[in-house]
Amino acid sequence: MTQKIAILGAGPSGCYLAQALLKLDTTLEVDIIDRLPVPYGLVRYGVAPDHQGTKGVERQFARLFERQGATFIGNLDVCTGAHGGEITLDELRGLYDVVVLATGLPSDQRLGIEGEELEGVIGSGALTRAWNDHPDSHHLPPSAFGETAVVIGNGNVAMDIVRILSKDAGGFEGSDFGAHHAEHLAAAGIRRIEVVGRSPAHLARFDPVMVKEIGKSAGLRFDIADLDLSAGADAETANLKALATLAEIALDDARCTVAFRFGWAPVRFAGENGKLAEVHFARADGSGALALETDVAITAIGFADDARLGRAELVARATDIENGRLAPGLYAAGWFRRGPRGTIPENRADSQAVAAAILADLASLPETGKAGRRALYGRFDRLTDFAAWQRIDEHERATCTPGRVRSKLRSRQHMLDLALNVTETS
Amino acid sequence: MMKITILYGTETGNSEMLCEDLESEFGGDHEIELRNLSDVAPDEMDLSVFHVLVCSSYGDGELPASAKPFAEALTAAGTDLSGLRFAIFGLGDSEYETYGQGSEQLADMLVKHKAEQIGPRLIHDAQSGDLAEDLAFPWFEERVAEMAALSDAA
Repeated sequence: MTQKIAILGAGPSGCYLAQALLKLDTTLEVDIIDRLPVPYGLVRYGVAPDHQGTKGVERQFARLFERQGATFIGNLDVCTGAHGGEITLDELRGLYDVVVLATGLPSDQRLGIEGEELEGVIGSGALTRAWNDHPDSHHLPPSAFGETAVVIGNGNVAMDIVRILSKDAGGFEGSDFGAHHAEHLAAAGIRRIEVVGRSPAHLARFDPVMVKEIGKSAGLRFDIADLDLSAGADAETANLKALATLAEIALDDARCTVAFRFGWAPVRFAGENGKLAEVHFARADGSGALALETDVAITAIGFADDARLGRAELVARATDIENGRLAPGLYAAGWFRRGPRGTIPENRADSQAVAAAILADLASLPETGKAGRRALYGRFDRLTDFAAWQRIDEHERATCTPGRVRSKLRSRQHMLDLALNVTETS
Repeated sequence: MMKITILYGTETGNSEMLCEDLESEFGGDHEIELRNLSDVAPDEMDLSVFHVLVCSSYGDGELPASAKPFAEALTAAGTDLSGLRFAIFGLGDSEYETYGQGSEQLADMLVKHKAEQIGPRLIHDAQSGDLAEDLAFPWFEERVAEMAALSDAA
């Protein structure tokens, strides 16, 4: 009897998991379920719109559905029951031999400091979802980017945001960054971007290649401050070399200055009438203070759970979290398993390890004859499938504006119109 | 019918997928063995077999994760690869200055250890609209033809 596996989350971890499972055992029935009508998760909605090469892994994932026999089930919201949703996790476990949670960590990590609720303080996840035209983020990005923006954090997500904020309109050629976003940024006319990190420069978390890429945009000049904190470090350190390449770019008539500051921890957002006006920072040892005036501060300090699947409790009670085992028949992969660390390749390795654990356990699982996707199809009439995604994909490519590779549909309703109409009439 | 070993150095799986495509496209015509570079020890390679490598770049022009152990072992042991003939195909992203440097490093390393490169190293650019297999299939056929001509001449 075929064993039935449901993977929640059609992002990179879920897709790599399905790929690894089906390579190990081609007879498995693998369903990848997503809350959105469309697949690919952070590849579509997290990877920067001007990093189309990185999105190339989508071709591998498409193969899952085209050739390897996986089934995509979109537009189905699964959660604990306490958070709305259409079907509970427990109900889903009743329908499948194995359920794997690969839904990532969708919330922005909060700093937990005064003033974080002010208008103008934006989490990096919320901003990048908006820039990527995620259907749940219509209220962002902020209507008023001013002449100054502060980016808090020194990871690669922060570097993505700095790069997009500092690009000129031509820099989005060949991307799928919406013309509406590019026009919005151009209209803001950002003159100065402050990038502030806690660590000294040589210990900053960014990949040097991401820093160098920012320097390739035309019309920028760079201020690199606080390098004295790295005085003891080898000047050949990759981080310091990358920053040095930025410092060498000397322009008299730059349209925008990007200032890197290191060794500053944010302590307070100050505002007037509910709107951000200043961000205050301090040295870790309390030896200094810094205040930056700005209308917008973007916090790019990591991601957190949104509690919709009861992750904290599941992970705390997990029988073998190292290999993704949460409970009998219930597993976790990717960021859901191990927290918000690691890029796409690391999640691939993670998913391969979890797949091996699942296969090992399946060997001793009793045959149950669970209903699987048949029960879902019987209960829900607005599920999307891979063919629906292909119609949306084709539409988005065919209707894109000049200089772009895709114009994303921005609302669920538009996606569903395209996804479901054809299904119903065929 | 030629005996061919196809090796991939991969980080995200794209090189692996291309190698699987090569295997399914040409597996009927040739005796193909497909392996991850991470599973290959330099001193265990059959030097009489034609090797076709597919390798991406990662990070700042570095070798992809699955190619690193092989490269380290080759460098550490200084294995003599005299007699080995190989062709190499790269996957890259011209958005970066380090475009195609992963496959370049691997090719240089093999040549340094006295292997002989057959034909040019071709790179698929992730920025282009081309599909990797559309470049790799004709390239593969040309390399195999070159290799066959060399074998006939010998």
